[in-house]
Amino acid sequence: MALDRVVAEPILELEGISKSYGGVKALTDVSLTLRPGEVVALVGDNGAGKSTLVKTMAGVVKPDKGRYTFEGKNVSINGPSDASDLGIQTVYQDLSLCNNLDAVQNLFLGREQTLPWWRGGRIQRAECEVRARQVLRKLRLDSIALDRNVGAMSGGQRQNIAIARSILWEPKVVLLDEPTAALSHSAAEQVGVLIRELAAHGLAVLVISHDIHHFVIDVTDRIEVLRLGQNAASFSSKDVTGERVVNAMVGGEEGINSAG
Amino acid sequence: MSSADQGLETTFKATAKRSIADRLANELRFVPVAVGLLALFIFFATQSEVFLTSRNLNNLMIQSTVTGIIALGLVFVLLTGEIDLSVAGTSGVASVFMAKLVVDFGAPVGVAVFAGVMCGVLIGAASGRWITLIGVPSFVVTLGVGLVLNGVQLMILPRTGRYNLLNTGVDEIASTTISGTGAWIIFAVAVGAVSWVRWSSYHARKSQRLPASFGQMVLLPVAIIGGSLLVLVLVLSSLKGLPMPIILFLGLLGGCAYLTGETRFGLYLYAIGNSAEAARRAGINVNRIKIAAFAIAGGLAAFAGILAASRILGVSVSSGGGIGGGALLLESIAAAVIGGVSLFGGRGRIVGVLFGAMIIATVSNGLNLMGVANEARLIVTGLLLVLAVSIDRGIEKIAGPS
Ligand SMILES: Nc1ncnc2c1ncn2[C@@H]1O[C@H](COP(=O)(O)OP(=O)(O)O)[C@@H](O)[C@H]1O
Ligand SMILES: [Mg+2]
Repeated sequence: MALDRVVAEPILELEGISKSYGGVKALTDVSLTLRPGEVVALVGDNGAGKSTLVKTMAGVVKPDKGRYTFEGKNVSINGPSDASDLGIQTVYQDLSLCNNLDAVQNLFLGREQTLPWWRGGRIQRAECEVRARQVLRKLRLDSIALDRNVGAMSGGQRQNIAIARSILWEPKVVLLDEPTAALSHSAAEQVGVLIRELAAHGLAVLVISHDIHHFVIDVTDRIEVLRLGQNAASFSSKDVTGERVVNAMVGGEEGINSAG
Repeated sequence: MSSADQGLETTFKATAKRSIADRLANELRFVPVAVGLLALFIFFATQSEVFLTSRNLNNLMIQSTVTGIIALGLVFVLLTGEIDLSVAGTSGVASVFMAKLVVDFGAPVGVAVFAGVMCGVLIGAASGRWITLIGVPSFVVTLGVGLVLNGVQLMILPRTGRYNLLNTGVDEIASTTISGTGAWIIFAVAVGAVSWVRWSSYHARKSQRLPASFGQMVLLPVAIIGGSLLVLVLVLSSLKGLPMPIILFLGLLGGCAYLTGETRFGLYLYAIGNSAEAARRAGINVNRIKIAAFAIAGGLAAFAGILAASRILGVSVSSGGGIGGGALLLESIAAAVIGGVSLFGGRGRIVGVLFGAMIIATVSNGLNLMGVANEARLIVTGLLLVLAVSIDRGIEKIAGPS
């Protein structure tokens, strides 16, 4: 599905990132570049350092060393709010949804519009709902019922709501940690369509996935392989086979292929 | 209307297709309890000729107010997934404190009542702070706090073990009744407030061109609430008028329903009760919300205690349900739970408390009229509690996980 396109300027660049937990080297000298409109897959075996790298970008983990460049400027990220201020949103594996609230309430949780207290301080539900409809429409998620508790929805719908929430405030970069892990094949396909939609709107997207043969090859533009906390390989998704990617993950392939 | 607007309404039509079970598990959660209350009314009406008289209904409702007001406060705490076992103790201490200010120090009634309520707010806030700071489970902290408060209550009572409140002015809080024009003004204000809240929701949706049904959003709720209040005013006006405890209970009920149902604070109570971690990641200050919930529970419990003192014309060792909170604590929790508030957090509505408290008062009152002994009352109330929660669970299972 990767399209030929003009290569955009990088929006987020990591260079030489290292991070250890006590004696465990989670990341060693890792580099990564994200560009607007591009979907990058981050793959690797369990413990390869994928989540740690995403948390570094999200400001949850502070690396021991390395450069963090955003829109060409060297930045220092000291917490999750620094990252979200820059326009970097993360969708964690557990989604962080409240099952007893409906889709609109989840989309706006913590950022509701309210009337001033002297006018009763009510949540402006109608305004939130209009905004929610616009965002869901843009992402072609019109089939989601807005006033149903998300706990009663399917895994795919919940995943889509979590993704929609991450882009509600128009970020520039979206990071997704294993968005398809708990999903059926068809639900994963829908999430893939949604991720392409994000890129089509000019976002830079990074997605961790173990589903190499279907999801990664079909949905992403570029595949970055981590092995034992190091960059192991980089492929263009359109001219690589699943076997080669898996080989690189487990250490069967030497050398680094440059992305096409 | 432009075609784009029609698009907005048609593409989201999945909104309308919600099952009855799904609705019963959410916004219509109080319906089974209301039906249960109606069944109890019918049963007792066939068993006793006195039951449906204005005088008895008046007594029955006044009986439900103290338990009901404590339960209102408990809902805030229960929604966050915590519990407060010290509410009865708080109501006892606050009422004795208030009585002491009036009797020993000659404080004006208004000042003493305010001080008593603030005392409850502080106790609640302190428990909440401790629970969120140290991370000790709330049932342990508040169980301990409840016992501490029982001790404090005994300490601040005089050697006689009792403060008499007859003719102090405190007694007038509960004995006041409002009749005639005053009653109709209160009725108009209540119906006006409900109509305004419902209509402004409807109007906001309409002006954003979102689907909105006038019948369901405005007419039906206003008719139900207005109709019930009309019956209430008519029945009670045939006696001395509207008793102040009932006005206070219903007023607080409305205020709490607004707070939990319409404001950000209320929404965050539900969010925290379902997933504190998700709430935290959404930027909600979970600890602050929980402390506020405990403070509200403490304040309302204190107020309920003062109301009880005013009704029984004094405070004593047994104010606040006695040691450990006794029946007062258990019935307050039962009122909330029978009303559909989950002990596991995140589920239930304030209006449920009205039905829960009324059911408990009805069982007590009705069995009393039938001449059934007290032990039967406890057994029936206990079984109703289990039955109510079981029905709730059943509906939730049918409605699917959430
Ligand atoms: N908070 C932590 N404390 C200690 N070790 C950690 C922590 N987080 C990750 N690690 C270690 O760092 C390595 C990389 O982990 P992670 O980034 O979660 O890998 P992946 O997401 O690729 O499975 C693993 O060896 C893991 O045990
Ligand atoms: Mg991981």
